Amino acid sequence: MDELLQEFISETQETLEALAGEVIAWEADPGDHDRLDAIFRFFHTVKGSCGFLNLPRFERLSHAAEDVLSEIRAGKRTIDPATVNAVLGIMDRIGQLTEAVASGAALPNADDEFLLAALSATGLLREEELPLDAAPAEPARSGGAVAAPRTIRLPLSLIDQLMNGVSDMVLARNELARKLRDRSADPELDSAFERLSTCVADMRDAISKTRMQRVERLFAAIPRMVRDLGRDLGKRIDLVLEGGDVEMDREMVEMVVDPLTHIVRNSIDHGIETPEARRAAGKPEAGRLTLEARQSGNQIVIAITDDGAGIDSGRLVQKAIVEGRLTPEAAQRMDEQARLDLIFQPGLSTADRVTAISGRGVGMDVVRANIERIGGVITLENQNGSGLRITLRVPLTLTIIPGLIIRAGGLHFAVPRAAVVEILHDNNEMLKIARIGGAQIATIRARRHSLIDLEDVLGLPLIPQQAPRAIMVVRSASGAPFALGVAAVDNHEELVIRPASPLVMASGLYAGMTLPDNGQPMLLLDAGGLAQVAGLAQGGEAWEAPAASTAEEQGRVDMIAALRFEELTGERRLLALSLIERVEDLDASLFGQSGSHAYVRLEGRLVPVAGGPYRFDSGKVAALRLRDGAREICYPVAQVCDIVEMPAVPDLVAMHGLLSGVAVIDGEHLEVISPFALFATLPDEPVAEIARGRCVLTDTNDGWTREILAPLLRQAGQEVLFGLPDDGAIDPADILFCSGADADFAAAITGCRVVRLRASPRPAEPDDGSIYRYDQDALMAVLSGGTGRMSR
Amino acid sequence: MTELYLFATLAGTRIAVRSQEVEAVVKLTDISPVPGTGAHIAGLSALRSRVLTIVDAAALIDGQATPADRRSLAIICNVAGHSYGMMVDAIADICAVPEGELPLRGRIDPAWACFADGIVDYLGEPHLLVKLARFIEGAALPQAA
Repeated sequence: MDELLQEFISETQETLEALAGEVIAWEADPGDHDRLDAIFRFFHTVKGSCGFLNLPRFERLSHAAEDVLSEIRAGKRTIDPATVNAVLGIMDRIGQLTEAVASGAALPNADDEFLLAALSATGLLREEELPLDAAPAEPARSGGAVAAPRTIRLPLSLIDQLMNGVSDMVLARNELARKLRDRSADPELDSAFERLSTCVADMRDAISKTRMQRVERLFAAIPRMVRDLGRDLGKRIDLVLEGGDVEMDREMVEMVVDPLTHIVRNSIDHGIETPEARRAAGKPEAGRLTLEARQSGNQIVIAITDDGAGIDSGRLVQKAIVEGRLTPEAAQRMDEQARLDLIFQPGLSTADRVTAISGRGVGMDVVRANIERIGGVITLENQNGSGLRITLRVPLTLTIIPGLIIRAGGLHFAVPRAAVVEILHDNNEMLKIARIGGAQIATIRARRHSLIDLEDVLGLPLIPQQAPRAIMVVRSASGAPFALGVAAVDNHEELVIRPASPLVMASGLYAGMTLPDNGQPMLLLDAGGLAQVAGLAQGGEAWEAPAASTAEEQGRVDMIAALRFEELTGERRLLALSLIERVEDLDASLFGQSGSHAYVRLEGRLVPVAGGPYRFDSGKVAALRLRDGAREICYPVAQVCDIVEMPAVPDLVAMHGLLSGVAVIDGEHLEVISPFALFATLPDEPVAEIARGRCVLTDTNDGWTREILAPLLRQAGQEVLFGLPDDGAIDPADILFCSGADADFAAAITGCRVVRLRASPRPAEPDDGSIYRYDQDALMAVLSGGTGRMSR
Repeated sequence: MTELYLFATLAGTRIAVRSQEVEAVVKLTDISPVPGTGAHIAGLSALRSRVLTIVDAAALIDGQATPADRRSLAIICNVAGHSYGMMVDAIADICAVPEGELPLRGRIDPAWACFADGIVDYLGEPHLLVKLARFIEGAALPQAA
């Protein structure tokens, strides 16, 4: 009997959960006979079973609901919101009763009559309203429940037992593997063992899948909630659920239910406006709430999007200032994201009044804490006035996480990888450790962190060691990141985490435990707990947060973006990114040389090339184009590597030469190019000055002009034009080259400078304005607009 | 219904444990310490794929942690879904006692008071009937305080 009752309870609860969404859908589309049938079947089953189990109240309730539904099915009744409400009420009551039976509590009897009355009072059909679509329900039913996969119900303990069994198997396999390795190799034995190994691994995978559950279950309660809240608040909401078939760990689903519910409530209460307000804002009357789940790597991403009012970060800041959490100066320095993040402050809410639904200040801080406790991340994308998107990223499973194995005081511990920001050795130059008043402060790249030694916190002996200690920057779920000193970081592994006993958890230091293949249990450290036990400021977070962010900003001022590249000579160097206008591949043929200076022809100009003349083997040369505001340099490199953050002042400063110092990036020592020296080495009179301009060669048919003069001019960066342009579009700045006597004429019609070239070294007459055509200096002087003689 | 009892020695005192509470008795091998917890938590030990929290019950009674070389046997029990190993000095026997549980007589040491349920006579000697779960629940209390 007890077993039957248990069965009944769990079955009823499960069906209720699944049906909640159905009823809402049915209300939206009353003609949907499949759904109606499903609901009808539920009541019918309940009625049948409870008659057998002698549960008269269940029977009365379900009987009444069944009656109403069968009338609807027969078309004798219409569906109106009141009916749906009444049916939902009965379902809720059955749920409560089931709960009560399960826990053996007393069953409050008061409201049953009221519910039944509500049900019978609703819309008995008047003849003329007979709906047209009240077709017999039977045909529709056949199409209904077809695709449901066959399932059986199993007690959780059995699955856990299976899991344990498989873990045992894995351990036994590992031991066997060790033993086999000690013996001489026997291929036959090895291959048999290999097969066993594979089987065990497959088995483990399969069993882990039993832990998975569809996200649908997470969504099951949402439609009902949205509907009820919407009605209570007089808002119209279109709910869209996507990705219900994504699977995640059963425990995870349970952990996410509460935060998700809270966010949805918030969205409806504060986010989505009333129909009037929405109309006024030019939005459709019905708000849109979208919940979507998808798997991304080993994470589940759940996004809750509404098209409501969003968060007014200004008001949030104001409220924080009024409540004394924030100084106006600190608020000034905050960026938009930091302002938005205020919503995660305990007790701070944008709600003006406390409603039954939300706004009680138990809010987003709890949501975030819950999400972060399971290793998740919550992010906001706010568009003030037009919506809010909240994204939850949670690990696929609680049980397997990537972790670091660390050593401290002769013991091994695990730390979740997600909690570790970076790891440094304590002899790293970027790290400075200061001891003051008993506290330790680690300064890493101008950021100060509280430093605690794991041995201190755990009360372990600090074992002296030769090797440098490792300093990990650890991010805790709540509070600022801190530096944790450990003897060494040994390994990186995927860890199967299991809960530790309450005795162990009571210390607050651990998040769980794991049993690695060596069979030695290992504890998983809880970063937040460590900080708390170590007495690092946690309560003052509200005050520290803005201060910390400004410290970060100061840190950022000290760091500048730099391009890491490989020189033609092979060294890897850094150059401040702000100087670099662009990076491009140039034809090697564009590079030229004049005396000791190298130039490259770019867009009709000669641009000096840094570092002297080069010879290029390949056809294309990667080059950096630098600009100091006025002047430009081309810097050919072998290869552009990446963009990194480098300290504005290099770690090792050299005041002379092309290099301003050495910076250490990712453990690599890189020389930093001094932009000052780079531009200072430019020829004083930049070629670029001469290089601008256009030369018009009038003697288009002359071989010398074409083959000798034109290339020379081009090389000097001039644009060369043969013959006067047909449209006569000649710029007064153009220089006309001609050899004939038509020079004066040309000068007259164009009004620009005309250079007359002569073939003989000597001028034909004393006042000749012409230039000997091989007098390069004079020619160049003309180009630079300087002292060369020219015809007026 | 005569019940089976496990008779053992704990902190120099003869104790009896109802056999329903006992899952197994194991010889302790490696114990990984759990720093940052009380002396009564000896550490973690792996029993095949299960991880036991080893409770040094003697430390709860007389406040002295059992030295590592005297850790020999543990009674395994399951409390609230977690497996624990209760360290004992020695195991005597497991058998049924026809006369059953007798009420406590005399003034019992306050250290034992919260763990003892009664007396079980075995081979003419009184054995203190203890409930293992109490050691675990009781152990959590000083932590919580």
